Amino acid sequence: MNKILLVIRREYMTRVRKTSFWVLTVLVPVLLAGLYAIPIYLAMKPVEKSVVVVADESGLFGGLDRDDVQRSDSRFNSTGNISYRYAATLEYARRMMDDDKQITAILYVRHRASEAIPTDACLYYKSDLPPQQVRYDVDKQLQRILRNRLLQAHGISDDEYALISNTKINLRTEDLETGREAFLEVKTALGIILAMLIYIAVFMFGTQVMRGVVEEKSSRVVEVIVCSVKPFQLMMGKVVGIAMVGLTQFLLWVVLTGVALAGIQASNSELFRMAAQKHEITELATKGGEATLQMEQSTEMADIPQLVEGITSIDFGVILPVFLFYFVFGYLLYATLFAAAGALSDNDTDTQLFSLPLTIPLLVVLLTMPVLIDSPSGTLSQVLSLIPFTSPVAMMLRVPFGVPLSQLWLSMALLVAAFPLCTWGAAIIYKGSILRYNILSKWRR
Amino acid sequence: MFLEAQHIEKQFGRFCALDDVSIGVREGVIFGLLGPNGAGKTTLIRIVNRITKQDKGTVLFNGHTMTDEDMMQIGYLPEERGLYKKMKVGEQALYLAQLKGLSRRDAEKKLRECFEKFEIIDWWYRPVEQLSKGMQQKVQFIVTVLHRPRLLIFDEPFSGFDPVNANLLKNEILSLRSQGATIILSTHNMASVEELCDDIALINKSKVVLSGSVSQIRRSYSRNRFEVVTQAAGSPLSLPAEYVIQSHKTSDGEETFRIALPEGCSANSLLSAVIPQRQIVSVSELLPSMNDIFVETVKEGGVQ
Repeated sequence: MNKILLVIRREYMTRVRKTSFWVLTVLVPVLLAGLYAIPIYLAMKPVEKSVVVVADESGLFGGLDRDDVQRSDSRFNSTGNISYRYAATLEYARRMMDDDKQITAILYVRHRASEAIPTDACLYYKSDLPPQQVRYDVDKQLQRILRNRLLQAHGISDDEYALISNTKINLRTEDLETGREAFLEVKTALGIILAMLIYIAVFMFGTQVMRGVVEEKSSRVVEVIVCSVKPFQLMMGKVVGIAMVGLTQFLLWVVLTGVALAGIQASNSELFRMAAQKHEITELATKGGEATLQMEQSTEMADIPQLVEGITSIDFGVILPVFLFYFVFGYLLYATLFAAAGALSDNDTDTQLFSLPLTIPLLVVLLTMPVLIDSPSGTLSQVLSLIPFTSPVAMMLRVPFGVPLSQLWLSMALLVAAFPLCTWGAAIIYKGSILRYNILSKWRR
Repeated sequence: MFLEAQHIEKQFGRFCALDDVSIGVREGVIFGLLGPNGAGKTTLIRIVNRITKQDKGTVLFNGHTMTDEDMMQIGYLPEERGLYKKMKVGEQALYLAQLKGLSRRDAEKKLRECFEKFEIIDWWYRPVEQLSKGMQQKVQFIVTVLHRPRLLIFDEPFSGFDPVNANLLKNEILSLRSQGATIILSTHNMASVEELCDDIALINKSKVVLSGSVSQIRRSYSRNRFEVVTQAAGSPLSLPAEYVIQSHKTSDGEETFRIALPEGCSANSLLSAVIPQRQIVSVSELLPSMNDIFVETVKEGGVQ
C-alpha cells in the first residue's frame, strides 16, 4: 500500500511541477476572464466620430426633398458620434466620401419600379469596415423609418402600435405538482456545459494516463519498476495520481477564474455598473427589435430577473455532487482502459489505433446530443444514462432537469460496479502486455 | 541452496519458453546463467523476480517459497532497462530506492555516499535525458545494489559499458560477493564468465543442457590435451604414433608443444616419453575455454 502511495506521489509531483501544467492552469482563467472583460471594454470604448451618407433613391427614408412634412421620425437622425448626411445619388455620395475622411460608409437604397417598398439596402464602405455600432445604428434607424412609414400609410397611431407590440402572453412550463417553473433554456445550457466538461476531462486526463504508460514502456523503465511494484499497483498509482492532477487543475481553474473576475469587477466597479445597464438595454433592443420605443417599457425588463431566477431555480446542491461523482468515476472507468491501451502500444501511432474504440461510446453521446436535449427523459436518454460507458456524459445532460432518484441511483450503482470489472480486465491486458513489444505488428502477422 | 528453481515450465501460447528447468544457486557465489539469444534466460529471471508467473514448478528462496519480504532481498538489473527521461537523476534514484523499501532519509544518505564514490554526485540535479547511456547504466547499477540485497540478479550488466567502466563494474561485482551477496549473472561475455563465475547453468532451447562449477565443467570438457614446454634441442621430438602434436613453437631457447593424448593415457605417460629427449620446463593440462564449451554445447543441441 505504501508503494502505491509512492507511485501516486511521483505521478502527481512530476506532472504538477511541469511548466505546461501551470501555463494551462493560468491560461484558462485568463482566457475566461478575457472573454468576460473584453466585450465590456469594447462596448464602453467611445466610438470615433463617423459620418454615414444616405443615398436614398426611393425617397422613403427622407432622401428626396419631397413636399411631405419632413418629420424626424421619417429621417435618419444623427445621434452621439454617428451623424447622417444625405446625397441625391450614389455617384455624388461616392465623391463626398473621397473628399471627407470622416465618412465611413454610404447607405444606398435602390429604387426599383417593381416594388413600392424597397426590400434591400446596401451599406458601402471603403477599405475599412465601419464599426459595429455604426452598422447597428443604421439598421435600427432603417427599420424604424420603414415602420413609421407603414404606420402612417395605414393610419395607425404610435400609441396604438405600442399597445399592439407590447401586449404579449408569456408561456411558462411548470411542474404540475411543485408548481415550479422549468426554465428549459438555462437547464439545457447547463447540461451541455457539464456534459462537455466531463467529456473533455475524460479524454484529456485519460490520454495522459495512456501517454505515461507508453513512456514507461518505450524508455524501458517499466521492468525496473515492476520488480519492486506489482503491475496493478503501478497502473492504479498512475490512474489515481493523474486523477488528483486533474482535480487540482479544476480546483485551481475555479478559484483563479473567480479571483480574476472579482478583481476585474472590483477595479472597474463604475464601468461594470454602467456595463450592466447597457447590457440590459441592448438585450431589450435585440429582443424587441426596437430600442427607443420600448426603452421605457418595463415588462421586458422582467426577462432578466427571470434568467437569474432560472439559474437560482437549479438545485446546485444536487447537481454539484452528482457532477463530481460522474467526473471522478467516468474518468476512473476510462483511465484504466486507456492504461491498457497504452500497455498494448509501443509508440504514438499505436496509441491512436488502440484508443479509437474507447472514444466511440462518448462520441455516440455527443452525436445524439440534440435528441437527448430534446427529450431529457426519453428512452434514448434513459438508456444512455444507465450504460456505464455513456452515463457520465449522458446523465449530465439530464441532471439539470431532474432525474427520478431511482434512475440516478441505478446509473451510479452500475458505474461503480463497472469500475472494478473494467479495472480487472484492463489489469489483465496491462500485466500481459507491459513487458512485450511490437504487439501490433505481431497481430498483423 | 540459497535459491532453487525446481522443474520450472512456462508456455507463451504454443511456444515453450522453459521446459522442466531446474537450477540451484549456492549462497555467496557468482552464478552464471548462460545461453544463446531466445533460450529462455530472461524468462527464468523474470520468474525468479515474480514478474512473470510460471505454469509449473517452484522457486525456493533460502528453502521456502518466496514472500513479499524476500522480494526486498533481491536487487534486479534487467537487460531492458531505462529511467524516466524527464526526471532528475537524484530524484529518480530516490524514487527507485524507496520502492525497494528504504526510507526517504536512509535512501538519500546512502545514495549521496554512493554517488560520491562513483564520482557522479554532480549529476544529482541533472535530468536523466542529458546523461549518456553508460552514465545511465551507472545510476541503474547503484540503485540496484543500494538496498544491500542478499541476492543480486544482473541481466547482461556489461552491455553499454566502455572497457574502463566494465572493469570497474567487474570489480564491484567481485567486492559484492566478498561482502556475502549471492549473484546471478546472465551474460554472453564468456571471458567474464571464466573470470567471475563460480557455477554456471547453460540453457539452450528452453532446457538446462549443462550445469555445475566452472572448473569441473572445463575439466570434464578437456580433450586430454597438454602443453609441454622444454628447453630447445636440435632433434625433433619423437612420440608414440597415437600422441598427436597439434602445434609446435620455438622461441627464446624454449620449445612449446601442444599434444593431444588418446583416451586412457595420462600426463605421466606423456612425460615418460618426453623426459629422455628433452629438459622439461613445465607441463600443464589444456582446458577448453568457456567460449568453446558454449559453442560446442549449443551446436550439439542444434543438431539434435
